[in-house]
Amino acid sequence: MASPSLKELERRVWLRTFEHGLWDVAIGLLLLSFGVGILTEFYWLSAIVVPVGLPAMRDLARRAIVPRIGQATFRGRRKRSIVRVQLILGVLAIAGLGMFAFTGMATRDAAPEWMASIRAHFVIVIGLIWGGALAVAGWAVDLPRLYAYGALLLGALIGVDLASSGYHLGHALAAVGGLITLVGIGLFVRFLRRYPRRVDPVEADTDA
Amino acid sequence: MPRKRDDGPEIEIDRTIHEPARLLITAHLYVVESADYVFLMQNTGLTWGNLSSHLSKLEAAGYVEITKEFVERKPHTMVHLTDEGRTAFDAYRRQMKALFDDLPG
Repeated sequence: MASPSLKELERRVWLRTFEHGLWDVAIGLLLLSFGVGILTEFYWLSAIVVPVGLPAMRDLARRAIVPRIGQATFRGRRKRSIVRVQLILGVLAIAGLGMFAFTGMATRDAAPEWMASIRAHFVIVIGLIWGGALAVAGWAVDLPRLYAYGALLLGALIGVDLASSGYHLGHALAAVGGLITLVGIGLFVRFLRRYPRRVDPVEADTDA
Repeated sequence: MPRKRDDGPEIEIDRTIHEPARLLITAHLYVVESADYVFLMQNTGLTWGNLSSHLSKLEAAGYVEITKEFVERKPHTMVHLTDEGRTAFDAYRRQMKALFDDLPG
């Protein structure tokens, strides 16, 4: 029989809250919407997915996850890590937007040469920013599979930079986003099978 | 350190925490800020009845606080270790560690 230390117990309990895969689905759908938006030239797709998708995901989590594994709030380091991830993602989102603005400036005729050379490898910079964001989030919440997602995204975007034609940013984002979404769905199905629905006894008494 | 009493056992153990099911409950509550019944059932493997019964004992000892709230008009029960419970669990850990560390090889 396993006898974990309190530290291991805390980590196990913390990681269980990420076992359901809905975070993966959210990340995957976001990247997929960016990719499909670029491919179909409907650039506002992700701007629609975020306000519609996130509340829907939160609602699904409340209905499907809480009755199965319950709810816990965490202390100290874990509580701070959530705040840290939000800050990091906020800064990196601004950095990503800044990169788009930079690209706009770099396309001007009077733009210096160094700007043009960075613009030529724009997708790698985007890969570093977003892939880095996923890796940093993985470190902050102690969830190693986010490192893999970050590396996958960076690799796919380096592939875009190296490919001569026929494969561009939209394809890469859609492919990586689709793959992460599928992983998330797989984790969610496994979660539903592994954990049967339970009801708070007080709630059960009230329903009876 | 274990306290020696004149007419009692050599080692005084906090039996409220020492009982295996309650030890599991307090260990889980120690590593989180608060948790609901379903979380505790899932992680300790206890049934509703068992969990309720042990939580009542911990509550009577002042080690946990049980809060009943309504979320979207449905009752929801959250449990957290009180400061007294946290201190008692820390003391229990130190006591057990000292007890086993002092054991001759």
